[in-house]
Amino acid sequence: MPREEYQVPTGASGAQRGATRDAHESRAQMSYLCGDCGGSVTLGKDALVACPHCAGRVLYKERTKRMVQFEAR
Amino acid sequence: MHPTKPAAWTNTPDAEEIARRQTVNINIETVSNNISTDYPGHFPGEDVEFTIERFREAFSVNFHQNDQFLSSFSLVGIDASLSNAFRRILLAEIPTLAIENVYIENNTSVIQDEVLAHRLGLIPFKGGREGLHNFLKWHKKPEVGEDPYAGCFDWNTVRLELNVECTVNPDASPAEDDPLKAYNNAHVYAKDLVFVPTGKQEEYFSGENAIMPTNPDILIAKLRPRQSINLAMHMHKGIGSDHAKFSPVATASYRLLPTITITKPILGADAEKFAKCFPKGVIGLEKVTKKEAAKKGSGYEGQEGQAKAVVVDAMKDTVSRECLRHAEFEGKVKLGRRRDHFIFSIESTGQWDSDELFLESVKHMKLKCKKLEQQVINMAR
Repeated sequence: MPREEYQVPTGASGAQRGATRDAHESRAQMSYLCGDCGGSVTLGKDALVACPHCAGRVLYKERTKRMVQFEAR
Repeated sequence: MHPTKPAAWTNTPDAEEIARRQTVNINIETVSNNISTDYPGHFPGEDVEFTIERFREAFSVNFHQNDQFLSSFSLVGIDASLSNAFRRILLAEIPTLAIENVYIENNTSVIQDEVLAHRLGLIPFKGGREGLHNFLKWHKKPEVGEDPYAGCFDWNTVRLELNVECTVNPDASPAEDDPLKAYNNAHVYAKDLVFVPTGKQEEYFSGENAIMPTNPDILIAKLRPRQSINLAMHMHKGIGSDHAKFSPVATASYRLLPTITITKPILGADAEKFAKCFPKGVIGLEKVTKKEAAKKGSGYEGQEGQAKAVVVDAMKDTVSRECLRHAEFEGKVKLGRRRDHFIFSIESTGQWDSDELFLESVKHMKLKCKKLEQQVINMAR
């Protein structure tokens, strides 16, 4: 079976029907990688974009946790 | 009035004429007489129709080299169209197993996912012959929207896995420069790919018959500490016309047998220079014998004991035409190639033996002819 399938949004799941913004509570904490020291940085909403260990201001997104399929050609 | 003597063309061809017909001339800047003429109706009064008896009589195969993965042999007495068909079948139509899909769970190395997948696809694999040739069958590519794994079975899909993580080697000295010693798994090689047998594959691919890379030391990626690669691969059977990774040969090529004809004697220092125009072992030096020196009009008069150039092994020649550039050899040598003598060279990538590959190409050719025959029969109805 395909691992990722489009889930039809159900109206009952918290967010109001037709809302273009979803509620942020579920993913308020995002994890990034510091470009200077390589450490993991978690940023909350409205937090300063900087690494707490080395004050580096370049943060990278983490790679997706999903499986990615490629054709070997 | 009836002519008393028949015209020259009605004579049956002599040896010289036959030699002329089967030689491609290599001139200083051109190649001439390169079209085969051995088909019916080309020479009036001569019957050169293709029959299987005639072919059998004239055809011969002799091997020069027959290693497991590299063979070289001569096909004599065959037309270019046929030998070229065999070459093209070898390159593009004999099936092999190769990595087709790569499922990447994680790849934090510097090499990009798609480049990594492409590199993996090009690695040649070997395995048990019985399983590869008879047990494994074709896999049908799923249609868009179809379940992509529904068509994958043990008889058409081989699963491989690659899970490596680079770590700092605690035993290495801190000043170590060599990444291979300072870190574990700094290099990912083809031998790190793990074959995961499923279903009946255990029967065909176990022990030394396991699916594994032919060349275990192919470098796939380089890692540094905390980088890792976790992926799974599916291998399918395919043919070279679909993608070059499925081609069973590294090279499959032929060349025509070179001919070198020394028409006038080349003697003394000239002979030594002449030998240097060719690769080693093509031209040898011999002493002019008493008998040759005594013969009038041979060009050897009074040259007894002198060195003369003789052709030792024309097959080793690369046909560089170097000898044609020098004024002293002008008119003394003719270069050419035998039109019907093909020196094949087949290098296998490991899934087949190289001599077995040629037989397989003949099998494919036969199958194609049978198909064509049926279509001609249907057309004539």
